[in-house]
Amino acid sequence: MAGRITGLPAAPGIAVGPAWRYRPRGAGAIPVVAVASGGEAELRIRGAAAASAAQLEGLAARLRGLGRGGDAEILEAQALMAIDPAIVDEAVRLARGGMPPVEAVLEAAESSARILGTLPDALLAARAGDVRDVAVRVTRTLSGAQLELPAAPSIVVAEDLPPSLLAEFPPGLLLGVALAGGSPTAHVAILARSLGIPAVVAAPDLLEAVRGSQMIAVDGESGEITVDPAPEELRELADRQAVRGSRDRAAAALRGIPAATADGRRIPLLANIRSPEDAARALEAGAEGVGLFRTEYLFLRREAAPSEAEQATEYRRTMEAFGPERPVVIRLADIGGDKSIPYLGRPEEPNPFLGVRAIRLAHDSRELLLTQLRAIWRAAGAAGVTPHVMAPMIATLADARLLTGLRDEARREVVASGAACPEKMVTGVMIEVPSAAILAPELARLVDFFSIGTNDLTQYILAADRGNPSLARFQDALHPAVLRTIAAVVTGADGAGIPVAVCGELAGDPAGAMVLVGLGVDELSAEAGSLDAIRACLAGYDGAELRDLAALALAATDAETVRGYANELLSARR
Amino acid sequence: MRSIEVEIRNESGLHARPAAAFVRAAAACTSAIRLENLTAPGPVADAKSIVGVLSAGIEKGHLVRIEAVGADEDQAVETLRRLLAGLGEPVGP
Repeated sequence: MAGRITGLPAAPGIAVGPAWRYRPRGAGAIPVVAVASGGEAELRIRGAAAASAAQLEGLAARLRGLGRGGDAEILEAQALMAIDPAIVDEAVRLARGGMPPVEAVLEAAESSARILGTLPDALLAARAGDVRDVAVRVTRTLSGAQLELPAAPSIVVAEDLPPSLLAEFPPGLLLGVALAGGSPTAHVAILARSLGIPAVVAAPDLLEAVRGSQMIAVDGESGEITVDPAPEELRELADRQAVRGSRDRAAAALRGIPAATADGRRIPLLANIRSPEDAARALEAGAEGVGLFRTEYLFLRREAAPSEAEQATEYRRTMEAFGPERPVVIRLADIGGDKSIPYLGRPEEPNPFLGVRAIRLAHDSRELLLTQLRAIWRAAGAAGVTPHVMAPMIATLADARLLTGLRDEARREVVASGAACPEKMVTGVMIEVPSAAILAPELARLVDFFSIGTNDLTQYILAADRGNPSLARFQDALHPAVLRTIAAVVTGADGAGIPVAVCGELAGDPAGAMVLVGLGVDELSAEAGSLDAIRACLAGYDGAELRDLAALALAATDAETVRGYANELLSARR
Repeated sequence: MRSIEVEIRNESGLHARPAAAFVRAAAACTSAIRLENLTAPGPVADAKSIVGVLSAGIEKGHLVRIEAVGADEDQAVETLRRLLAGLGEPVGP
């Protein structure tokens, strides 16, 4: 059956080839390993552990050869787990006690994974999944179960793939990846990007549509999967690939040059990051700072709030990575609501997106926000930079005053402790609640900048839960109702002379970035991977062309029309 | 038996990359090596176990104790001491 399925783009590039269905074998499906003695069990377990570590080291070396040392480290850590004495010795002890070797390895790994899984540090806790992945690999080697591999170069089609599985495909055999599940931020997607293997994930209809080994084409940039492509579709894909190749080379050449429109209007391009580990990638992509440092990772999946010292260490690391010339805007924890935190002891809410979330926690959990603000002051003092902070979910002027009050109180406490502390904290509010947008002219007089979160602003303006797939058609920030709101926010900010940034997904989409700059937005912040495309796109147009585009967009009444105008301008230039 | 106490000075403590480097260096020694977090005490870790070292939750500023028993114990302690002293994590270009 020919057809087109859409998923999420996970690794760029276009691949065409026969589909090859991967079906995971559960632990139960791994063949039983018969051993004559405890001594034999020990030898086989130790041998399988060492062989698995060698395989993982091999793939890591391949990634290093491709200049992707950061990704290689994921696999190097897995190699150490394969031969971890805490796991191997325990497996040997269990096997000598009579447990079948495969179960012994899985059982021993499970106890280690459980220990890691309960660690308060979310990044460490996430390693539990790596331990389990490695254990399955060791048992496969142990039982001699060959991973079934396709006979010819193929596109692997599956529900999901364990991250290290890509390691077992000899180079060249894996043309592309198409997954019904998964997410673009999962390890398997990261590794596919490193290896340069096009990938599309989260394509729910995939397994229905691809039943045999028919030809499929995967476009890892648009997220499209074409089943049984017709000759003209194949030609179109080849053209697309050629156009993108020259575009990407041109875009990468602009890195390091400050972003601006063709007539020289500067539009600083910053990166959104989730942890200090993202700093290197952002800098490599030419980010002029961080427009959104999401700090939730510090607060989620743990049993108690992070200490002031722990937070200060993380903020300082990030500030130092970017230096005094590149601002790092730290967003106060956007928690509560749907990201519930057991240690806050809050009741479940029927309507979390309209509930006690973010700055609204300041009434009952004041110390949580004060601690975070003190940590930011302290980190900036130690790093010798001016701190930048912004608060999410601001709805009223009282919210903004609460924020600046907490900020000043936190500073007094840090100064009293004798620690180095800067004079000023550049303080902004996020505009994502309609009331804040309406009150923009007055809010602008209380703070130093606005940052528009287009995802939440869209969900609140259109009253459509962004997590509800049957309402996905409402979640388009190019809707004129959202754009008209943004235009009013820019006018309000201009009245007080403060800048407006946009840090939502709209800023990372070339069409969105063009409209936003046309509306008078001053700065854009997006995922590091989008920066090249946005920089190149803005450099192709004069400010006046983008203002004309924005004027058309404001006069429209639906998002499709706006996207049509933007695409027209985009294709006219290419 | 040789032992030493060291304060961890690099920013991210003994996590991710530094932990892997530490375990690799420990595994290259023949002595049995134990690692104990004195600031936030927990179970004593086998220095050759990545799971053990990660689980010790060693942060910047923590004081740790390294104890080696075996033929190369002097050299083991010295190697690990130097590794911890020299751990710097370059962040970005």
